[in-house]
Amino acid sequence: MNLLSLLIFLPLFGAALVLFLPASQTKYFKWITLGFCAVELLAAAVVYHYFDLSNPSFQFVEQTDWITLSLGSLGAVSIDYLLGIDGISLPLVLLTGVVMLVGAVSSWQITSRQRAYFSLYLLLTASIMGCFLALDFFLFFLFFEFMLLPMYFLIGLWGGPRREYAAIKFFLYTLLGSVLILVVMIALYLSAFDPYSSLNAQTIVHTFDLRYLADGHNYLPNSLLNGLSAHQIMGLDARLFLFLVLFAGFAIKLPVVPFHTWLPDAHVEAPTPVSVVLAGVLLKIGGYGFIRIAYNIFPDAAAEYATLLGILGMVSIVYGGFNALAQSDLKKMIAYSSVSHMGFVLLGVASLTPEGLNGAVYQMVSHGVLSAMLFVVTGVLYDRTQNRQIEAYRGLAKPMPAYTTLTAICFFASLGLPGFSGFVGELFTLMGGFQSEFMPKWIATASTLGIVLAAAYFLWTLQRMFFGPLWTQKGVESLLADLTPREKIMLLPLAALTLVLGLFPHFIFDITSATITEFLKKFSLN
Amino acid sequence: MLPIVLLSVFGIVVLFLGFSKSKNILLPATLLFLLVTLIANFVDWNHQYLYFNDMLWGNNASMVFSGIVLLSAFFVVALTRGFEQEGEAAQPAEYYGIMLFSLVGAIMMISYENLIILFVGVEILSVSIYILTGSDKRNLRSNEAALKYFLMGAFATGIMLFGMALMYGATGSFVISDISEIIGTRAWNEQSQLLYAGLLMLLVGLLFKVSAAPFHFWTPDVYDGAPTIFTAYMSTIVKTAGFAALYRLLAGSLASLQDYWFATLATITVLTLLAGNVTAVYQTSFKRMLAYSSISHAGYLLIALTSLTAKSQSSILFYSLAYSLSTVSAFGVLILVSQQQASNNYDAFNGLAKKNPFLAFVLAVSMLSLAGIPLTAGFMGKLFVFTDAAQKGTIWLLVVAILASAIGIYYYFRVLIAAYFKEGDLATIRIAPFYKVVLIIVTTLTIVLGLFPDLVLQLV
Amino acid sequence: MFSEATAAIPDVIQQVKIQHYIFLATALFVIGIVGVLTRRNAIVIFMSVELMLNSVNLLLITFSAYRSDPAGQVFVFFIMAVAAAEVAVGLAIIVMIYRNTRTIDVGFLNKLKF
Repeated sequence: MNLLSLLIFLPLFGAALVLFLPASQTKYFKWITLGFCAVELLAAAVVYHYFDLSNPSFQFVEQTDWITLSLGSLGAVSIDYLLGIDGISLPLVLLTGVVMLVGAVSSWQITSRQRAYFSLYLLLTASIMGCFLALDFFLFFLFFEFMLLPMYFLIGLWGGPRREYAAIKFFLYTLLGSVLILVVMIALYLSAFDPYSSLNAQTIVHTFDLRYLADGHNYLPNSLLNGLSAHQIMGLDARLFLFLVLFAGFAIKLPVVPFHTWLPDAHVEAPTPVSVVLAGVLLKIGGYGFIRIAYNIFPDAAAEYATLLGILGMVSIVYGGFNALAQSDLKKMIAYSSVSHMGFVLLGVASLTPEGLNGAVYQMVSHGVLSAMLFVVTGVLYDRTQNRQIEAYRGLAKPMPAYTTLTAICFFASLGLPGFSGFVGELFTLMGGFQSEFMPKWIATASTLGIVLAAAYFLWTLQRMFFGPLWTQKGVESLLADLTPREKIMLLPLAALTLVLGLFPHFIFDITSATITEFLKKFSLN
Repeated sequence: MLPIVLLSVFGIVVLFLGFSKSKNILLPATLLFLLVTLIANFVDWNHQYLYFNDMLWGNNASMVFSGIVLLSAFFVVALTRGFEQEGEAAQPAEYYGIMLFSLVGAIMMISYENLIILFVGVEILSVSIYILTGSDKRNLRSNEAALKYFLMGAFATGIMLFGMALMYGATGSFVISDISEIIGTRAWNEQSQLLYAGLLMLLVGLLFKVSAAPFHFWTPDVYDGAPTIFTAYMSTIVKTAGFAALYRLLAGSLASLQDYWFATLATITVLTLLAGNVTAVYQTSFKRMLAYSSISHAGYLLIALTSLTAKSQSSILFYSLAYSLSTVSAFGVLILVSQQQASNNYDAFNGLAKKNPFLAFVLAVSMLSLAGIPLTAGFMGKLFVFTDAAQKGTIWLLVVAILASAIGIYYYFRVLIAAYFKEGDLATIRIAPFYKVVLIIVTTLTIVLGLFPDLVLQLV
Repeated sequence: MFSEATAAIPDVIQQVKIQHYIFLATALFVIGIVGVLTRRNAIVIFMSVELMLNSVNLLLITFSAYRSDPAGQVFVFFIMAVAAAEVAVGLAIIVMIYRNTRTIDVGFLNKLKF
């Protein structure tokens, strides 16, 4: 079996194992999950080891015919089980490995319905991996939408008091996003064809292969999405219109303001490990979707709308920052900081410069590590006192010195202190914004406000909660024990990782640059 | 032809078996008969046939449609458990006999070549279902449902017949292929008013049977009032047969008139989608919600019909199969739960997952499939239907359908929320082994077809 | 209307124009529809449905005669036979309801509501 298939099927196998082991083995479920996540990370590392950094195209490609439907006079449609990895997906696959492992350790606290929890967790791992590895749009969509199910149950069954509301809100929002993607998928399926199979089969073979979809020559003459045909939808060129639809679909996932309202609710209600996964990996699928699907298929529209997208990124950065400033719930504050930080990803992607795109991928990895850490930190406090209000604490540094140190590290890293990964990501995306020929400079200028805001809300929170004399709202000082070894195991590697990535950013840039240079050639023609 | 003859004979045999002392033989005998018919259904495979003086017509597609109907009937019959639960008043032999007879009507509706056969098929199916709806004789709700269904059904039949008569007046023939030819070649402008009026009334009659809005008002009451097992029966079989009949009519003889009926049918499609989905949201009874959901699924099927592209038939076929499978398992779970709780409401499912994880899982797969979540047959069905609309270029129809399916998520998930997230005191429900096997098969099929839809589609 | 086929139709039939039959059948049909929609008694509703069916029969026979084509008359036989079967089932349902409720007024049936 190919390595990439292994990455998808390994967690599935783990899920099946958890599902079918007798109930007497319940105590091993978390160990099984941890083991599978560790092997998963290892497998991702092996992929990295054998990955050719200088090769910009897809590697480890694996292709099997899956569904072939004859459409009579309309030709045929072929859907493949098609996997591959390149410089854009590899960093995210590695990130997934790390975050899922941390999430597995963080899942130790789950005590109810362990069989269901751990099988769903492994199922989620498999579908996230599938999303990053799929090269067939249809396959990607299946993983993308199927991912909602385990997530829905993870929030709905193990979440906080308003979990039902949060779960269905999360589900409906993201489902709306995937429905929009579905519309574009149907339109693409009508327009694009596979040149080689069509030649062999003497008929039109429609395809979902992203490699063919990216090439303008593979669109049927005068079809809806052919660049030369002048079809219009609602007074807008069909390609531009469907790009916006696709963009909205992924924007819900990222999330971009104004599609972000599901995120704070989902985060507040989700249990810690689910929050870690949600912020750490799930949001990245939105950003990944922009690059891999929306920009890849509609480069002309992406260039056309660069300004609009840049403004949306800027609005996300600033609006998310102001909202974070106003929150009293620590978890909600971090959720809004996620909105703000993911705005940088959109800004970087929209700039269409090497700095911007490399920076965007880097920012996704960096934010994955940092947000995982932030949510673990929040979880630590919540586990002890069942209270996440910022005002409820003062002077936590005294009883919890190790906790305070690590919290400070991840706060400083998140607000963009040089030396940590957050700084590099923001710097490069902003540089991209300033250098871009596709958007005016004031967008990037306004976005820098986000960094100031991040400094404000993180430092203010740090000051309010950790400094000064020890005080808690409900007199729960006795519960405030310092970090346990398990919590240190989660936080220390993450802290090390953000430092290493911050000091040696070329680890990521080496992987991404060749692919992105090639990717940007699509746009230089315009 | 063979399945029609077999079913008629088997129906009579089952009635006679009812005289014997051992009632236990009825269920296995009926299942065996259905299985034999299912196999016999495919003897003409790869042949296009015409029987009874060109009154019956069939090809692979119509055989697969009949196969879906027979398969759904097999599953529903398997879920009856010999009507042991229905008490003293139950007449199992008659129910099984009527079910077999009704299938004759369904198959006639699927493979008619002459409008006479369509009419007779519709009537055989409907009259059987009137009886089954009212089979719970002491229950006023069942009585009322039967009367409503009967009066409305007879009314719709009248309209349908008037339409057929007008079409006959305009074209001078009842034969599908002749009508198509006459419309295509001759100058029939003189009688075009007759033809349009006839076409419209014929469509209204058939749309009534598949419960499309605005002819759907009977559906919730009848579905709610009928004994649950027969609700499952009619919601799967009548719908599949009805849509096969509609497709045959529109594609076989009226395709060249698409410009004329398109606007009407598209309006009805949108109305059906909205009426079904929006009203379903406000239901508190799971059974009634399934009734509205069946209306909304009629809407999705109508999309494929309205678009009428080269692959509409396979879309309708796959969608009906996916819908039938999910509906059977949903009703299968409902029957067990409502017996335990004496209620059809969502609340009855509270805490189902705790003691009955298997039933909860079956319910989940079925709801996900009805809602159209990937990796289930329902998703593939929706995808095919939506591509039909895109192919025809009716983007606005596609948008309505997609919004409707987003609404659908809400009410399908309500029962899942009850089953998984709510606390309840539902005890462990004992499931008969055979019952369990049927649920497993149906659920597996739903998932397998979601992964490999070409298993069925390459047949057509 | 039907000009090309008139040669084969006997004069006796042609003396009355086909339009008259169509109007008569339509009028009967509409009376049936109005009856179904306005009456409260199940039996009367049922009779109205029968009226609709019979107007269809009349229409079919008319077309059949004016076209010299037997298919329409064959259809009439089918309709009569099926309608008889439907009457049997329908009356059985009405009797069943009468036994349970001592009335056949459809307004009385309101157990099932939206």
